[in-house]
Amino acid sequence: MEISLSVSRSTPKRHFEEFTIPLQKGMTVLDALIYAKENLDHSIAMRYSCRMAVCGSCGMKVNGRPMLACYTQISELKSNRIKVEPLDNCAIIRDLVTDFAEFFSHHKSVHPYLIRNDVKEQDNPVKEFLQKPEEVEKYLQYSYCIKCGLCYSACPTVAADKEFPGPQALAQAYRYIADSRDEGIQKRIDVIDTAHGIARCHFAGTCSSVCPKGIDPAQGIQLLRRYTLSLKR
Amino acid sequence: MSSSAKRTPPPPVYKARRASLLRSWLWPARSNLGRWAYTMQRVSGVGVSLYFLAHIIETGNVVGGLSMWSVPAYDIAKNNWNNTVDFLKNPLFDLGLVIIGFLLTFHTFNGLRLFFSEFGYGIGKPARPDYPYKPKSQNTLQDLIIWLSAILAALAAVYALNVLFG
Ligand code: SF4
Ligand code: FES
Repeated sequence: MEISLSVSRSTPKRHFEEFTIPLQKGMTVLDALIYAKENLDHSIAMRYSCRMAVCGSCGMKVNGRPMLACYTQISELKSNRIKVEPLDNCAIIRDLVTDFAEFFSHHKSVHPYLIRNDVKEQDNPVKEFLQKPEEVEKYLQYSYCIKCGLCYSACPTVAADKEFPGPQALAQAYRYIADSRDEGIQKRIDVIDTAHGIARCHFAGTCSSVCPKGIDPAQGIQLLRRYTLSLKR
Repeated sequence: MSSSAKRTPPPPVYKARRASLLRSWLWPARSNLGRWAYTMQRVSGVGVSLYFLAHIIETGNVVGGLSMWSVPAYDIAKNNWNNTVDFLKNPLFDLGLVIIGFLLTFHTFNGLRLFFSEFGYGIGKPARPDYPYKPKSQNTLQDLIIWLSAILAALAAVYALNVLFG
């Protein structure tokens, strides 16, 4: 059986190029792209590394939805016409490769690491930081983020406001604020509770519905907002 | 804002980003239900705001516009009233009212859903994600309220159809 893979190309001007790929059992969208690059056109540009949904490099739009190419089997798309495009809300560098500079700068802005008032103790701790399992549950899922940018590209508010931190950064802010070992809450609130900050989220929930790691950024953002509105953690 | 809160300046915005802006902002195709509600909430918000503006101008006209501050003579007021009523006797305005009835009702009920969600109600508790990952914030209750808002809005529009025949 064969499938037709239509790839978005950026040069000389944006257009789609069709490739016919022999289908194999268990083939992923990334495998199909690699087949096309190896055998049909060496100039296709795409980004990938781990091929197992861990590195977060292969995010792209597959048949109109942001997905990880390596984590999407062709059989689950239930169609033998597949269209791959670069992610929305990011500038295109070439073909399927998008610029993540903006995305990462938002991630960095929320201080995504544990902050302790006692820096000396943090660097040279004399004992462990203890946590109960229930305390871990509060942030665990958010710590699984692989920074693939799917949620960022799916967010309608990011499309309309480039200064909005986006679901990934806000969910990371929540991840550290909800961590019982962290003491940097005010530092992060200062960054996210601004005119272009958390209040711009209108709970479309697309971020959560596209996340390949089962993270629920929309939930984290609402919980964070509850904190900014009522100081209830 | 303390100086430590300064973020690295975002890189320049490229042309490519702008090209797909309207689609990725307002076009919910192939997305979850909440995204449809998002678009509806934005569109109805703008629609209702414009309606309020027009409504204030119209009502202001009836009582004599800006001259109302100097208490209009009875004749002027009566004249204005009749003119406005004549002007609004138009099936297009009636149809507009039906649409506004729909938008207003949807905006109200969906807005209540958002209000409660923002205070953390009805969005589930964070837990370890298990395959097949189903986000807890996109749950049946949320979907139900969105559908309910749409049904109530449709009922309001049906009720408002009266103006077309009244
Ligand atoms: S929250 Fe999910 S979709 Fe967003 S960057 Fe992290 S892993 Fe990717
Ligand atoms: S190649 Fe690493 S996530 Fe797909």
